Amino acid sequence: MKVWPTQFLHSLARFALVLVSFFPATAAAAATDEAEACLSCHGDEQLTMTLESGEKAPLFMRHELLEGSVHKALRCTDCHVGLDQVPHPERHYKSLTQFRSSFGEACKTCHFENYTKTLDSVHFGLQARGDVFAPTCVKCHGSHNIGHPAQPRSRISQTCATCHVPISEAYAKSVHGKALIAEENKDVPVCTDCHRSHDIASPKDRAWLMNTPALCGKCHADKSLMSKYGLSTAVLSTYLADFHGTTASFGAKGQSKGKGPVVALCVDCHGIHDIGKVTGASAPTFRSHLVKTCQKCHAGATENFPAAWLSHYEPSLQRTPLVYLIRLFYKLIIPFIVGGLMLQILLHLWRTVVNR
Amino acid sequence: MTKDSAYVVRFGRRNRIEHMVVMVLFLVLALTGFPQKFHDGGVAKAIVSALGGIDRVRYFHRLAGILFAGLTVSHLVSVLAAVITGRSSLAMVPTAKDFRDAITTLRYYLGVSDVRAQFDRFDYKEKFEYWGLVFGGLVMITTGFVLLFPIAATRFLPGEIIPAAKVAHGNEGLMAFLVVIIWHVYNVHLAPEVFPFNKAIFTGKISRERMRHEHPLEYARMFPEAERDEEGLHPPAADPTRKKDG
Repeated sequence: MKVWPTQFLHSLARFALVLVSFFPATAAAAATDEAEACLSCHGDEQLTMTLESGEKAPLFMRHELLEGSVHKALRCTDCHVGLDQVPHPERHYKSLTQFRSSFGEACKTCHFENYTKTLDSVHFGLQARGDVFAPTCVKCHGSHNIGHPAQPRSRISQTCATCHVPISEAYAKSVHGKALIAEENKDVPVCTDCHRSHDIASPKDRAWLMNTPALCGKCHADKSLMSKYGLSTAVLSTYLADFHGTTASFGAKGQSKGKGPVVALCVDCHGIHDIGKVTGASAPTFRSHLVKTCQKCHAGATENFPAAWLSHYEPSLQRTPLVYLIRLFYKLIIPFIVGGLMLQILLHLWRTVVNR
Repeated sequence: MTKDSAYVVRFGRRNRIEHMVVMVLFLVLALTGFPQKFHDGGVAKAIVSALGGIDRVRYFHRLAGILFAGLTVSHLVSVLAAVITGRSSLAMVPTAKDFRDAITTLRYYLGVSDVRAQFDRFDYKEKFEYWGLVFGGLVMITTGFVLLFPIAATRFLPGEIIPAAKVAHGNEGLMAFLVVIIWHVYNVHLAPEVFPFNKAIFTGKISRERMRHEHPLEYARMFPEAERDEEGLHPPAADPTRKKDG
């Protein structure tokens, strides 16, 4: 399709750019004009560039991609910085990978906060170690066809599923995933609700792991949210009041350093991505598995053992009479004894004063 | 009055050492136990991190608990042995007189009567504390071992025993701590009669003067001739350091 001399095309493009710069007030129009100018070359499907490695980098840009983009009003050169001169200043790329990532840093010009967050992410860690498959901004968000990342909400989980296949399959079968996929439920967590979006921590990161009870509690301790599904909000408080939760709230150090916590977190009993219901149809399965779940940490636990855990219920006369009555006993005896002793002290002091 | 004759031995060496050990263990157990019971508070977090994390706090707590159990057992065995062989009196055993003494004392405090209860070797307050420590200690030891060995405990007992033991352990500990902080500290430090410090359990000695006031029945038994001699402040002929065990 290369019928026009390149020199002529460049002059044309330069003329278009100059023309565009005369009307800065109408940015959208200017962007469109600039895009048209760029596309006069980059609309050519055959346009390529030979890299040092011998690979050919395609320079073709399909105009339709911009149509659905949230960046439709931006100029090409807002992201492709330094290319507003035609012909473009000469650039050298070693490989296709380097070429592709060369504009990866462009996003931070506007999205500086999110860019900064990514520096703490497990994905950036991979990138820094030279992993060419590590996600960059565009790998998750797209490039020319950037859309709203959370519209619809299930799009988020689909984005992660591009790489995390087995996990996304487990998630899709979970109580959360099912609700998201089947009914576009706005309450269930998508990947980023737990893992965050830009500053994604490694799930093996100790601090992140120890924070998981608070993470689950964000929704599961929210009364108005849980009442919609008839779920108890005491799950967090009862967990924290128990041995495991207390340990977790102190950020247990663990016996074997770096091997994860030696305390049961929410996910250790309920599962991580494959979290299922514990009420209704699946309840018996969950309960019959309970002793096995306990045995994961408590070797030698008998059938009696799971009852040591009050299943997120507050002690009650019907369910756990022994615990309830002992608690009641101390609720009465402590104020009685301590109050009695204090009264005796006051009387003693009073008599001493009277005697003088 | 010479120094020797002004004091009487109230606590033998064994009792003094036992008190020292139980005092230290009690403080260690409280310091490492309450952050676990009141784990929500910022103070709890501060104590735990100052001690080097929850695992270390639990380690110290269990170590002190096992030592406390050992001390309790050794104390009870030695007392039992002493009682059986007749080397110890039954002075610490509560009697009907203790209940009468408590009522007499309360009537006196309230100003209903001016009669003061006459105490023997141990008054009802001391007996209350002693038996409170023994029984409270036994509750703490039993529930503590259930919590330390939950797998073994539920081999024979229902699982509910674990949370029940936890509730009992935390609350019994809280009650013991409050009794010691309020009642014991008042009786041996803050009460006007002893302020600032009743050192008897550390030195083992009590002055004859204080003994005559606080334990008149024992005093009368120990110094019959002094009692006959009106105020009895003259040094008695008999050996004043005659030891009595509780």
